Amino acid sequence: MEMNHTHSKYKFIRLSRIKKESSEVMKNNISAWLFLFPFLFLYGWFMLYPIIKGFYISLTKGSFGVESEFVWFENYIEMFKDYHFWEALWNTVYFVLISTPTIVVIGLIMALIVNSKLVGTSFLRSIFFMPYMLAISVVTSIWVFILQPYTGLLNSILHQLGIEKEIFWLSEPTLAWFSILFATLWWTVGFNMVLFLAGLQEIPDEIYEAAEIDGAGPWKKFWYITLPSLKGVMVLVIILQSIASFKLFGQPWLMTGGGPGTSTRPLVQYIYEVGFKEWNPGYASAMSYVLFLVTIIFAFIQYKLMSEKRGE
Amino acid sequence: MKGRRLLLYIGSYLFAAIWFIPLLWMLITSFKPEGSVVTVLSELLRPPFTIESYKTVQEQALMGKWTWNSVVVAVIQTFGTLLLCSLAAFALSQIQFKGKKLVFVLIVAGLMVPVEATIIPLFSMIVELNWVNSYSALILPGIALPLGVLILKQFYDSIPKALVEAAKIDGANLFTIWWKIFLPLSRTSMAALAIFVFIQSWNNFLWPLLVANDANMMTLPVAIPTFQSSFATDLSVPMAANVLASLPALIVFILFQKHIIKGITMTGIK
Repeated sequence: MEMNHTHSKYKFIRLSRIKKESSEVMKNNISAWLFLFPFLFLYGWFMLYPIIKGFYISLTKGSFGVESEFVWFENYIEMFKDYHFWEALWNTVYFVLISTPTIVVIGLIMALIVNSKLVGTSFLRSIFFMPYMLAISVVTSIWVFILQPYTGLLNSILHQLGIEKEIFWLSEPTLAWFSILFATLWWTVGFNMVLFLAGLQEIPDEIYEAAEIDGAGPWKKFWYITLPSLKGVMVLVIILQSIASFKLFGQPWLMTGGGPGTSTRPLVQYIYEVGFKEWNPGYASAMSYVLFLVTIIFAFIQYKLMSEKRGE
Repeated sequence: MKGRRLLLYIGSYLFAAIWFIPLLWMLITSFKPEGSVVTVLSELLRPPFTIESYKTVQEQALMGKWTWNSVVVAVIQTFGTLLLCSLAAFALSQIQFKGKKLVFVLIVAGLMVPVEATIIPLFSMIVELNWVNSYSALILPGIALPLGVLILKQFYDSIPKALVEAAKIDGANLFTIWWKIFLPLSRTSMAALAIFVFIQSWNNFLWPLLVANDANMMTLPVAIPTFQSSFATDLSVPMAANVLASLPALIVFILFQKHIIKGITMTGIK
């Protein structure tokens, strides 16, 4: 009798615990979704839904806000035959190829300068980073006025240095790319510098001191200590920079208008023009999916590398 | 050794000069009278200086309105992002619930989607909602930022479990734990994220270009080129507009430089 009583008592306690636990689980589920709801609501509305809607639009022909016609993959077929699409895609890839090494290397050089034992490094850091705070249209406006032939600052300086030739910085394809590259460099290199600087500051001084005792010069120290230690940051900066370069739009749009001709028109600008000047959202959407695919591949590599880094 | 050091100094400061001259030139040119030569140093630095160009900008441009729009959009977007990302990150970090993995994967996947690739469907939605030229269109699409959730979740994961358990024993509910423990503890991460979002929002160009075409609704980056396009040959007025448009960001930079650089580092590397 006594035994039985305690047994049922235990059973009761156990049952109530299970009941309590399951109500706890329920409670957790409900509160978790309440916490997530505001974010997921906007996220679903403005991120997930547009991805699906974009795919649907890419299968149609028509304009914004009017009845459109379903055409299956016609836009994609048209795209593969469109010279301007391939040109714009190549322009974007070209910019990624020229801008990534330039902006990464100069970012590293700036970080090394700022991290050195020179006088006034915090002043130099401010100067290098400052343009990053400016709006893109201010940046391009300054550079367009500097690069202007006959009235611009740069040509005037070159004339004073004895170079008589009038250089058309923005209306000759190679020079136009160079100008876009330089304006982008001036504007964004501070961001890379800051990331490299954080990486440099994590390298312990003892390693350098030990190397100095072993008689290593500055170049050897840089090659055998600094560079290998920066590997992680380097990979990150390269990927962030390539993704940023893939999205190129504002600089050519405001500096060259994509010209001369269409020689500096990147993919985003072509999407913008087809979508919002020619009012052909179906075709623009199809091209957006190419951009989407390319950046996703890059971002995927980034995520893989970063989780690897974290796993170490 | 000494020679090398001198060379390093010259190189570094030459670099800095190239980076600073465009800003300085913008500033000085904006104070020159209309039609003066601004490409020869001796002419540039010789008086007269005048604030005539600033007056012209004041009269012909809606500088106040555009700055206000930029501030409203950036501030609301920053606060909205912080609030929503923090709530979501708390759930993902601290609560066990059904569907957690799926939600997490969906948010990580969003990291990879550039806004540039969804402008067509997004704009089409804005047209259907009749939101062209509205603050809603400028602000709402940017708020749910996956990067924000990931950065805050990473920080929340590092908060000791014992702290949360103790609060639960004291009878605190999850909302109180978020508000009273996680928000105050994550001040640094939040500040870093805020700086990152604010700069991005302040400098955003493509999206406002699409949804704000009424001069009264434009933000600075979109409005400045529109205004400048009517001053093709005269430099001082466009430069005055540039200076006025840059002033808020540069003041913020000078005041909070250390935080800004720290914020960029944290959001960039993590």
